[in-house]
Amino acid sequence: MAYPSQLGFQDASSPIMEELLYFHDHALMIVFLISSLVLYVILAMLSTKLMHTNTMDAQVIETIWTILPAVILVLIALPSLRILYMMDEINNPTITVKTLGHQWYWSYEYTDYEDLMFDSYMIPSEELKPGDLRLLEVDNRVVLPMELTIRMLISSEDVLHSWAMPSLGLKTDAIPGRLNQATLSSTRPGLFYGQCSEICGSNHSFMPIILEMVPLKIFESWSSSMV
Amino acid sequence: MAGTSLGANLYRKIKRHPALIPMIGFIGLGLGSAALYLLRLAVRSPDVCWDRKNNPEPWNRLSPNDQYKFLAVSTDYKKLKKDRPDF
Repeated sequence: MAYPSQLGFQDASSPIMEELLYFHDHALMIVFLISSLVLYVILAMLSTKLMHTNTMDAQVIETIWTILPAVILVLIALPSLRILYMMDEINNPTITVKTLGHQWYWSYEYTDYEDLMFDSYMIPSEELKPGDLRLLEVDNRVVLPMELTIRMLISSEDVLHSWAMPSLGLKTDAIPGRLNQATLSSTRPGLFYGQCSEICGSNHSFMPIILEMVPLKIFESWSSSMV
Repeated sequence: MAGTSLGANLYRKIKRHPALIPMIGFIGLGLGSAALYLLRLAVRSPDVCWDRKNNPEPWNRLSPNDQYKFLAVSTDYKKLKKDRPDF
């Protein structure tokens, strides 16, 4: 989950998010290199008394600073496209969970085997227990088996919402009348927090999502106890 | 201008500013790949219908073994199982 004064991404809990973290490091390193070079050049130019007033053209440097940025852009584009296509791959999900956005809560349906449906409302701040996270706790968490690929079908019953899970690298819009698919897989057990990511009215900031990733046996006993 | 062709004019300009060659090259590469990808989408995408009589809805004739995306990072589409009924 996010913590106060956080600057970077949350720790990755899915293979795709790990790839995104590496790519972000790569792109940010390029950005830092270019920015520090530009900063150095600016400072060097501002702090010299030398002058050269009769340069008409400079073919060599123009060639260099055309080819080098193009190469840098290609080096950014290739990993980026690779991850983009990787996110779209079919990877044989084992179960399907439907989530519908409402104003202002999420509802979940696990209908592969039995009819398991429930709503997930945020716990108001007055009802928090000690140790609970403000504006992030919900009454019914989304319990899912860890280390398995899960298909999420995301839609909305009223206005636009967005189902986001930063530590798994997921954000998919919930659009009324449309079914969007995302594939979810977590490498470890635990609680993963997310929040609605598309403005949807007055309580848009108050409809969080909690994923509780557990071993398969515990998931099976939970789902049979919930039906 | 009379007496000079467009090609000769261009050639002389480029000889005086050779730094333009990489720029023309990269812009050509970019525009070319965009145009080629658009062409690929138009011709090979299952969402596009050219022939209303013989192939009216190509998106209804998808098979699980075909690769429709440009790049497949870790899925080998030939090896996928076809476990759905035929229509």
